[in-house]
Amino acid sequence: MRKLTFLLTCLFLVSVGLVNAQSKSISGKVFSADDGQPIIGATVRVQGTAVGTITDTDGNFRINFSGNEKKLVFSYVGMKTQEVEATNNMRVSLASDSKLIDEVVVTAVGIKRSSKSIGYATATMNPEDALGKSQPDFLKSMQGKVAGVDIRSSQGTPGAATRINIRGNSSFFGNNEPLIIVDGVPLDNSQVATSNQTSGGGAYSNGFSSLDPNDMASMTILKGSAAAALYGSRASNGVIIIKTKSGSVNTAKKKLEVSLSSSWSTENVANLPDYQNTYGAGSNFTYSNSNGSWGPKFGSAGNDSVPVQNGDWTKYYPGSFPSSKKVAYKAQPNNVKDLFQTGLVAENSINLAGGNGKSAFNATLSNMNNKGYVPNSKYERSSISLGGSSNLANGLTIHGSMIFSNTSQLGSQFGENQVDGASSSFARTLFLARNWDLAGLPYETPTGLPISTNNSQYDNPLWDFQHNTVTTNVDRIMANFGLDYQILPWLNASYTLGTNVQNLSRKEIIDLGSRAVGGVGQLKTDKYRNSEFESTFLLTAQKDFLDDLFSVKVTLGHNLNERNTARQAIQGSELIVPGIYNLSNTKTQTVLTDETSQRRLIGLFGNVTLGYKNYVFIDITGRNDWSSTLPVANRSYFYPGVTGSFIFTDALNIKSDIFSYGKIRAGWAKVGRDADPYSLVNTYSINLPYNNSVNSATLSAVSKNPTLQPEFTHELELGTQLEFFKRRLAFDFTWYNKISTNQIAKVTIPASSGYDSYYMNFGKIQNKGIEIDVTAKVIDTKDFNWTLHYTFTKNKNTVLELIDGVDRIALSNVLSGSINPYLEKGMPFGYLRGTVNYRDENGNLLIDRSTGLLIKDPNEKMVGDPNPDFKMGLGTTFTYKNFFLTAQVDWTKGGDIYSTTVSTLLGRGVTKDTEDREHTWVIPGYYGDANTGKPLLDASGNEIANTTAVTTNDLYFGNSFAINSQTEWNVYDATVYHLRELTFGYNVPKKLLTKTPFGSATISFSGHNLWYWAPNVPKHTNFDPEVNSYGTSSVQGIELSAAPTTKRFGVNVKLTF
Amino acid sequence: MKMKKILFILFISTLLVGCNGWLDVNKDPNNPQDVPMSLLLPSVELNATYVLAPGSGSLGTGLGEDLGVYTHQLSTREAANVYGADGSEYYLRNAWSGMYISTLQNLDIIITKSGESNAPYYEGIAKVIKAYMYSQFVDVFGDVPFTEANKKADGIVYPKFDNGVDIYPALITMLDDAIAKLKTTATVTVPKTDDLIFGGDVTKWIKTANTIKLKLYTQTYNQKGADKAAIGAKIKAIFDNLATTPLIAATADGFMFPFVSQRTPDNRHPAYGGTYEATQKTTNISPWFFEILKGINPVFSGIVDPRIPYYFYNQLKPSQTGKDGNKFEYRVGGFASIYFGSTGPDNGAAQDKSQTVYGIYPCGGRYDQGDALTVDKSSGTGAAPYRFLTYADRLFLEAELLQAGIITTTPDGNDAKTVLNAAMVEAFRLVDYVAAKANGSQTIPVLTGATKTNTYITSILSLFDAGDANKKMEIIMTQKWISSFGSFVDQYTDYRRTGYPKMFDPNDATMAPSGFVTPPAGGDPDRTLPPVKVSCSLAYPRSLAWSIDEINVNKNAPKQKTDPSTYYVFWDPKKN
Repeated sequence: MRKLTFLLTCLFLVSVGLVNAQSKSISGKVFSADDGQPIIGATVRVQGTAVGTITDTDGNFRINFSGNEKKLVFSYVGMKTQEVEATNNMRVSLASDSKLIDEVVVTAVGIKRSSKSIGYATATMNPEDALGKSQPDFLKSMQGKVAGVDIRSSQGTPGAATRINIRGNSSFFGNNEPLIIVDGVPLDNSQVATSNQTSGGGAYSNGFSSLDPNDMASMTILKGSAAAALYGSRASNGVIIIKTKSGSVNTAKKKLEVSLSSSWSTENVANLPDYQNTYGAGSNFTYSNSNGSWGPKFGSAGNDSVPVQNGDWTKYYPGSFPSSKKVAYKAQPNNVKDLFQTGLVAENSINLAGGNGKSAFNATLSNMNNKGYVPNSKYERSSISLGGSSNLANGLTIHGSMIFSNTSQLGSQFGENQVDGASSSFARTLFLARNWDLAGLPYETPTGLPISTNNSQYDNPLWDFQHNTVTTNVDRIMANFGLDYQILPWLNASYTLGTNVQNLSRKEIIDLGSRAVGGVGQLKTDKYRNSEFESTFLLTAQKDFLDDLFSVKVTLGHNLNERNTARQAIQGSELIVPGIYNLSNTKTQTVLTDETSQRRLIGLFGNVTLGYKNYVFIDITGRNDWSSTLPVANRSYFYPGVTGSFIFTDALNIKSDIFSYGKIRAGWAKVGRDADPYSLVNTYSINLPYNNSVNSATLSAVSKNPTLQPEFTHELELGTQLEFFKRRLAFDFTWYNKISTNQIAKVTIPASSGYDSYYMNFGKIQNKGIEIDVTAKVIDTKDFNWTLHYTFTKNKNTVLELIDGVDRIALSNVLSGSINPYLEKGMPFGYLRGTVNYRDENGNLLIDRSTGLLIKDPNEKMVGDPNPDFKMGLGTTFTYKNFFLTAQVDWTKGGDIYSTTVSTLLGRGVTKDTEDREHTWVIPGYYGDANTGKPLLDASGNEIANTTAVTTNDLYFGNSFAINSQTEWNVYDATVYHLRELTFGYNVPKKLLTKTPFGSATISFSGHNLWYWAPNVPKHTNFDPEVNSYGTSSVQGIELSAAPTTKRFGVNVKLTF
Repeated sequence: MKMKKILFILFISTLLVGCNGWLDVNKDPNNPQDVPMSLLLPSVELNATYVLAPGSGSLGTGLGEDLGVYTHQLSTREAANVYGADGSEYYLRNAWSGMYISTLQNLDIIITKSGESNAPYYEGIAKVIKAYMYSQFVDVFGDVPFTEANKKADGIVYPKFDNGVDIYPALITMLDDAIAKLKTTATVTVPKTDDLIFGGDVTKWIKTANTIKLKLYTQTYNQKGADKAAIGAKIKAIFDNLATTPLIAATADGFMFPFVSQRTPDNRHPAYGGTYEATQKTTNISPWFFEILKGINPVFSGIVDPRIPYYFYNQLKPSQTGKDGNKFEYRVGGFASIYFGSTGPDNGAAQDKSQTVYGIYPCGGRYDQGDALTVDKSSGTGAAPYRFLTYADRLFLEAELLQAGIITTTPDGNDAKTVLNAAMVEAFRLVDYVAAKANGSQTIPVLTGATKTNTYITSILSLFDAGDANKKMEIIMTQKWISSFGSFVDQYTDYRRTGYPKMFDPNDATMAPSGFVTPPAGGDPDRTLPPVKVSCSLAYPRSLAWSIDEINVNKNAPKQKTDPSTYYVFWDPKKN
């Protein structure tokens, strides 16, 4: 540490010395001749000397030189170099050089680099493209558009978290989502779950959704470790760098520009199953008021009416029923559809921006309101962003921004209804017996207690939507302050200090009368505060040598990071007075959590880029971190990286109109990672007092480890970028191999050790894959343009090592005895393991002779792999004069999903899949011995084929293929095709606007998720395998009665003044 | 200009210096690194209870929930039906982690701490609980981690499994050691209210330790090649030293965990929440058990057990139709349930508001005064103790020892009938004892001394007189089985040791002719109940599978038992 301080200090002393030698100063500004916009990062050099500088974020420069030199040389990648006589306040326009088109890419810690010099894959998203697409969730609007990025939705209710993952899961138990940097400060994207999502809880949101897409200026995705290494510990899953409009104010001189955008969309459930309307409640064609629709045929003799399913209906609403207290036994074809409503998404935003060449500001005000198709569900986001920037006369640039956002989410509770004390709002919602008319009958008693066809088994969903709710409010403040100073023509210093504070408060209500918590009511309050401070100092030196033959850029940086969390969750049990939902109205209060945590990190890093003739580049990075969470002896760790790029078309001069550009790149980097706070020393937890009088404590079941080491991820990536036909066809290919070793994880250890888990360094996991990105301007004429954008993502994940002798470790405890994701050597991350049936040596099912059904194997086995084989997306845009049409489709191939929705639809006999039922079935297989799992043999030693017939009801409700079956039958291939987006719009011609106050006007119509097809799920379930019950966690491929996905239609208007 | 740059340098330098102190923020502010023994003992006692007790509510709980089905006092549609509770079964996994993590780990900390701080009573109590809990685990699983368990501090992350036959003697030594510690006097640090079981009464702990020894010796005499004389001698040694090392000798001496009526945090009997508070009830009373108590079953034909209203609560009046149209597979008057191994059409029918549930004795539910309430959380109290080992259990052990001829005299008499009589009297007194503890505001008649109690006992004793040696043993074990309703672990052990009581078997031609059982005629006022098809393809499990969690991650664990019907605990007479 001291050594580095000394080095840095020396560097400054040197620079001070150089300052003294200067004598004359000229300032000016560099523009692009194409669009008049200032050029950032253009090189300005005094002709014939080594003195030079680069233009700042506004294109301004100031250069010092001795009196006898006359000319300045201006150069910029992709632009023609110019030599201009030096005058004060000079303004220089650079014309683009078609042979040398290159763009500037924002890389780690905000370092801007020409894309030529980059030796790793990056991607950019234009946030504008996400607007006006009937999709309020920005992450979801990226689906299929970026190669290498896997985006998965969770539930179809407003605000539900969206998971983003780049290049696979590299951490066993840690967060596998990329680091998100907003205006230089990390954004806490965690999903705060108050209740376990297996047995309840809401469709919780995550941090990303509090960002306003209307205020986003740019988004860069650094996919690999080589790209992200300078960000340090949290970058091993890639980085998403977002610049907000407020945080990247440009001091260009421009008049005040006001943009207004508005969009309105309707929202409906994407698709419901095709229900059968032939049979109602009962079993084996006999009526009973049960959940399964296996009862008698509608209209069959003796089955015209049935008793009202719940005495409460006739008791409280006697007028609605005949005196017989019977209702017709008939199909209710729309009984599920009628539980839902048409939702709405309304989004309005106003943006104001302006500047006078010295100072500028940006302000964005936005509001988005999404009412879901589930009654009483909504998500609202309001945000105010303000940003400003000023170039002071002394050469210092000051900029800063402040963003405030508030989100509020309201929704119902989900999970596996069968878990004791749980109540899922979707417990029966999609599986209503075909004769139940829930929407046509009152859902509650006059005093607000639920009435359903069977109160003890499920709460009436309409009641549930209104009464068992989760309300979450999040206030987020992101603020940052920055200074930028050009110390010397070749030396720049910049400093940013930013903070990101999130305050979440939540109420989870289980109302009086619910089947959950014994009907006495419960309230959970959860308050979570997270704050992060990030300070980054950068010193950048840049110089060209030997007449631009060589270029050198050196960046040294210092980074401080502090993260604080505080959480307090309290459970109030037994509501006293109905309708009042605060802790004061509960009989007893229990503290669920009351914790704070703090972690700190210091990083020092450096980056050297060497260029030769602007076609060979070598980039070397190194970072050393000091983390508060590791043992003192191990808290310092260093990790290097090296990348290179080679523009072979330039080097070999083989460019032509057909083969326009060719680059190959390679990168290798190592990224270190620290532990969670407080992972080193064992602690006790204080328990709730017995009988409210005797206090007690137990040793924590997690064994801590005072000898933890940092973990490291190594990644090698190779890629090429090829462009053809005057760059109208661009092809980008990347191959990577990422290996994470020595992981710090709370590894599951046998209970007989005294603990359930142990913090240790172990294991090895590999993610290997390819990413392909193709852009084609198929037709490029004045009036008609057609472009295509194709992405392909394939990631293969393998656990290479676990712990010697340990077969497997559960990734999470989801549903014991049914399904759990596991880690196992040689297997993919989080593969699904569950119960299976016995088979003989040839793989034939063994059948229980007495029942004709399958026999459970007491040993669990692999039943699925949630990781898809590959994903691809295809986007297309047509423009004809002022009309445009865009569409986006994607295809996820493979991956498995455990679905209780599908198994319940089949097991309850409600869809057309099980309508053909008036005969028995013989399951193909051979008789087996349930004790040994071996086939039974006849006198001559042969297996005996099964001849025991079972009913259709038992086929789907016994130890067979749906409900009560083994897990293997409830796992489906999740291959799915989606038509994600379709937008048709019109840009009003400028000449029509001359007499209006508008500078531009655009109107468009859009649709989202208009069609999907999952070929390998039972046909009539119409199940969209994209849903998931565990939001952003690493548990994927498990769906427990989740709310289905949505589809939307909308109209969007954008106006500028 | 120059000034500004110097300021810049100073600014940056301040950021960099002193970072060592700045990083020292990793001490957990939320949880203590040490606590006194008096905080550990109450959690250990509670957690040990959860390992064994039945219960399906939010408390989860342990082995009893499945074993009650295996001993045919309960029936269910869950995994335990047809002996299907394998290593991935929830209650079994819960019990396993509750045993080693929540219980033994903290017991070992108490033992270490008591040695360091000269607190022998804590050590003695901890060792009694530890020995008892290990014995229960050996009885249920056979081989379990013992010598290497809970030794992570010594670097053992993957403990080996020890054979039960080697563990038992170590437990006897542990109990002797515990008794010695409990007999020391004048200690400073003594348990008081933190000892939830006996409130720091060390004499009761000594009685418990000694009775556990008696039980362990008794459990071993039936194994093949047992040296019965040697076992008898060891038991005699216990009986000969009662003056200094007494046995449990009164109802209130019983080794029981006192649950209370407090709901939040839930310190009620775990079966109470699972039955009375859960709207969807998963635990039924087995018709087999009901018919034995009712005198319908040939084993005690015609003899009606007066404990029925204390044991079961009927949510229906005898002539009442099923609530909300509930249909039944099995019903006799107010008693409604489902069969073990049933594949009948009404097995799955909802009957939460109509089915018969636990009464006051097993879990602090409601005494059945015939009011046929739809039970909810306030129908009872949940304040019944979990009974580990009672005075009645001790007397039944003595009766068994006399009947088996292991010993010829016991402190309570020298013939099996006398002691059986005492055991049954005590069994009824125990019901009264529990009812008094768990009663909310009901008027509950006392069983002890009541005419019907005496009539019942007399009838059983005449059956005993008339029976041969096997029948006598069957009566002792059946009475013990009835008395221990709610404490299912020892029942499972007793059945495997002695073959008694008779358990329902769907494959038995007498019990289920042609695979069908027929509910008693006229039991359901709504309809004539049809015969129900029953089947069970799995043979009786002679031990339970190990928790899959342990097998998955313990590299030193044996391979999972694929067929528990052939995996015997060392004392099992079927073991070769």
